[in-house]
Amino acid sequence: MTKKVLLKYSAEKAKKPILALIIKETGTLMNILHAKFDAEGGEILLAIDAPDAEAKRAIELFEQNGIETKELKRAIQLDEEKCFDCGACLSLCPTGALRLTDDYSIELDEDKCIYCEICVPSCPVRALEISKF
Amino acid sequence: MNKSVAAINDRIKRGDAVVVTAEEMVEIVRERGEVEAAKEVDVVATGTFGAMCSSGAWLNFGHADPPIKMQRLWLNDVEAYSGVAAVDAYIGATQLSETRGFEYGGGHVIEDLVRGQEIEVKAIAYGTDCYPRKELETTVTKDDLNQAVLCNPRNAYQRYVAATNSRDETIYTYMGTLLPNYGNVTYSGSGALSPLHNDPNYETIGVGTRIFLGGAQGYIFWEGTQHAPTKAMGTIMTIGDLKEMDARYIRGATIEGYGTSLYVGLGIPIPIINERVAKTTGISDEEIRTNLTDYGVPRRERPILREVTYAELKSGRVEVGGKEIPVSPLSSLKQAREIAGTLKKWIEDKKFFLTQTVEGLSTDQVFQPMRQITAAPVAKDLMTREVVTAKPSDSITSAAKIFSKQNFDHLPIVDEKGKLVGIVTSWDIAVAVGTGKRRLSEILTSKVIVASENEPIDAIARKLETHGISGVPVVSTGGELRGILTSEDISKLIGRRRR
Ligand code: SF4
Ligand code: SF4
Repeated sequence: MTKKVLLKYSAEKAKKPILALIIKETGTLMNILHAKFDAEGGEILLAIDAPDAEAKRAIELFEQNGIETKELKRAIQLDEEKCFDCGACLSLCPTGALRLTDDYSIELDEDKCIYCEICVPSCPVRALEISKF
Repeated sequence: MNKSVAAINDRIKRGDAVVVTAEEMVEIVRERGEVEAAKEVDVVATGTFGAMCSSGAWLNFGHADPPIKMQRLWLNDVEAYSGVAAVDAYIGATQLSETRGFEYGGGHVIEDLVRGQEIEVKAIAYGTDCYPRKELETTVTKDDLNQAVLCNPRNAYQRYVAATNSRDETIYTYMGTLLPNYGNVTYSGSGALSPLHNDPNYETIGVGTRIFLGGAQGYIFWEGTQHAPTKAMGTIMTIGDLKEMDARYIRGATIEGYGTSLYVGLGIPIPIINERVAKTTGISDEEIRTNLTDYGVPRRERPILREVTYAELKSGRVEVGGKEIPVSPLSSLKQAREIAGTLKKWIEDKKFFLTQTVEGLSTDQVFQPMRQITAAPVAKDLMTREVVTAKPSDSITSAAKIFSKQNFDHLPIVDEKGKLVGIVTSWDIAVAVGTGKRRLSEILTSKVIVASENEPIDAIARKLETHGISGVPVVSTGGELRGILTSEDISKLIGRRRR
């Protein structure tokens, strides 16, 4: 199963190629869903596609390298019956997980979602829901 | 070339009227010009689907036995206005539920009625000889009502301003959630599809115009409230049978931190009676401009940052101060398109005929501000100007002395030019004791919530409340400290107002 892990880098750690080193060392497939860096450090949202034990080992390695990790165990749903494509949620989404298609429909790409939840209360018809488990 | 509405209706009846949507018309006029377009096209179908707060419905319940003259009335705990005869009432879209607050309001009651759901009715009365009953509880669906008429004082704004926020905090407005420091832009209206923007001179739209309203056929019966045609901010009053409407186009909504509203789907058919009208229906998103306005300033006249076109807004990104900012439409462009398409189909299928207006709408009406007999006070009217301050280089011990002598617990820290650089509280001093810190610069809080000199007291009171603070420094536009305003100063004023 794919695990989503949020990595938090300090400014100093951001300078080192830690992610590359860990991929090289473990050979685990990891996909960057979203990344944001500034002078104070930053975040990477990773999808790790590997058996549990292997993913766990990769997460441990990040921790050992001084990177804060947080596994995201949540899911977001867009209720298409309720959604009337108003777009109120669009400009609030920091990662582009919510986007407008060519025919002006709203699309949700859960892979990019970091569960910041800012979109949830902004939806006028309560079409967005985040569940935690 | 001139065509009458009657002649167009004849063509609809014969099945050979040419109907296009407002988006299709843009292309036709662009390619062939308005003269050709006027010959070719008979009707242009427009559409919009957005939050229209100034909406509501008239309901008639029929008489109870024994009868009641409803003095106050609640529908699913949302109060409706019943000060009209005995069993007539108006449910307004923005009235909030007394038990569920922002989650449910008049807009939701209207949607539930359209859906055919049961509504709880509670009423009280003072009782008369002819209407002896004082209390009533029942449930109704739309089928139990004699009339359920959607009747909206202000719909279909020709266009609206676009909103952003200069403050360093998120604000919640009727224009949606606005992120700090110009973090996003929101706008409303369907641009080239906008019904009133397709006939801004009101040559074909007027009293008696039949329209698409909430999925049924409704009418325009007056100019809308706040109608401002000279500013390209025209509006209409609309009416239609709620019982025939479709909940796809009538949706209750919650606007975060603001309240409830009603999303209304509306479309107007524009008969192409001449070349002028053909030209106005050819208007494109590139030609429709609006002002990008700073909702961070809580005044009637909000600062305008720049002009934007609907084409820019619809592209999803707008440039402000060299930065590309993400944009949210608040009205559904997809549904606006769908409405224009449905209206077109109704006409082609001979289910919808055009009307000749009975009376035109005003083209020179202006929207006046409220007459206020007292000026709303601003920060500089109430603030204390004599403020004890300290410099960042001052010692913590000197500040401790000030606190011991004076009866306050916030000390503003200013630089040599009088600019506010931070604040120190008596608590900060207490905590600093024994830490080896010496200068105020080491302990001051630089992120201070401030008020500007001309900020209305009502806005500041709200600030104090949301941040749970007891006072704010008042600063000039250049950031110089001008005074201090406390919740005590404000409550004195409010006490005076109440008296
Ligand atoms: S929670 Fe909503 S706003 Fe936040 S990333 Fe996910 S989709 Fe975007
Ligand atoms: S705010 Fe809600 S209704 Fe509007 S587009 Fe987003 S999910 Fe859909």
